[in-house]
Amino acid sequence: MLLSKLKEALICFKNLRVTLPYPFQPAPPPPGFRGRVEVDINKCIGCGACAVACPPKLIDIKDLDSKRILEFQLGRCTYCARCAEVCPTVAIAMTPDFELATDNKADLNISVELTMVKCEHCGEAFTTQRIMNKLATEVSKELGMEPADMKWLHLCPECRTASEVEKMMEAES
Amino acid sequence: MWLCELITGNRKTYGMNLIGGVRRDITSEQKPKILEVVGKIESQLKEIIDAILGDTTLHLRLKDVGVLTKDAARQFCPVGPTVRGSGIAIDSRVNHPYAAYSEIAPQVITQSDGDIWARTIVRLLETLESINMVRRAMREMPGGGIMADVQEIPPGQEGISYIEAPRGECMHYVITGPDNRPYRWRVRAPSYMNLQSVPAMLMGYSIADAPIIIGSIDPCFSCTERLEVVDTRTNKARIYTQKELLALSKR
Repeated sequence: MLLSKLKEALICFKNLRVTLPYPFQPAPPPPGFRGRVEVDINKCIGCGACAVACPPKLIDIKDLDSKRILEFQLGRCTYCARCAEVCPTVAIAMTPDFELATDNKADLNISVELTMVKCEHCGEAFTTQRIMNKLATEVSKELGMEPADMKWLHLCPECRTASEVEKMMEAES
Repeated sequence: MWLCELITGNRKTYGMNLIGGVRRDITSEQKPKILEVVGKIESQLKEIIDAILGDTTLHLRLKDVGVLTKDAARQFCPVGPTVRGSGIAIDSRVNHPYAAYSEIAPQVITQSDGDIWARTIVRLLETLESINMVRRAMREMPGGGIMADVQEIPPGQEGISYIEAPRGECMHYVITGPDNRPYRWRVRAPSYMNLQSVPAMLMGYSIADAPIIIGSIDPCFSCTERLEVVDTRTNKARIYTQKELLALSKR
């Protein structure tokens, strides 16, 4: 019995202190750590892919007349990084930051405000200026069309459908 | 936990599994690190097992205390080390092999006495067995894709799965909803099953034995502690009181 006690004592003495002296010494997480979400407001185009992917649904998208507002309530974040995975412009990144304790959840919130463009036909705001720019440059390249020829780009989905139907009717008659 | 952080990107909320596969592969740089940590755990564990097995104080305290007989175990259907300590060899990884467990099947460890000591020994030896399995997995795991191409998940479908968790068989049930989200999700954690057998274990022992008997099934009460409800229309969060939860559960 004594031998076992000595063995147990030896195990404890051999390892001494295994805890880190954190917070007196920084404890950086390894690469690939999923910490606080960071949104690059210069890259965000407001497509809302993150809001669809987010499991706790913490990203709220509001379309006010000429502005689209994306609100990230990060107090509810589970750090799954699905938003960063689906972001087409890599505007969302996971930082190594994990010291997020706060007495006010709103401290963690992020709000992105983007300008909307209006439909040239009906005047209804339908998408953000940045999505429009992306479509005009990247999609036109892929389709092999000049942005100037893509008049439909400046119409909202409803007016676009209506104008296409009109064209088809004209062609038929 | 540092190893989990290295492999998955977080210590506890791993976020590794998606429908169709896993999100991160184990890189060639991580493999030696994993084997190193596992090796260290193994050598330390062997020292601990060696010390515990010969510790007569523990023998006196744990043997013949909190006995769950084989028949009682059959009646209450506990799972994991609790049932294996009573001499019933049940393990989802062997009985219903899922994932890659048909290729690296574990050796099911049982003890026949059904007391706290038996459950302790089962847990200790299972840790060694798990280390062997990690080694085999590291050696035999093939490379290749980690994610199947899954697009839309049809709503209104049901799924049920049983897996072996450290505390025993864990059941998940899901009904799929629209937008690739679950509509209902129910987890029956192993502690729920194991807690049913606690009254049988406590019967006939002293109050001083109760804490170690309850501790011997390694229960997890944290899931039942509290619940925050967020109203998505008003974005207001509130916590239900015990009274309200009871009223809801009795409805």
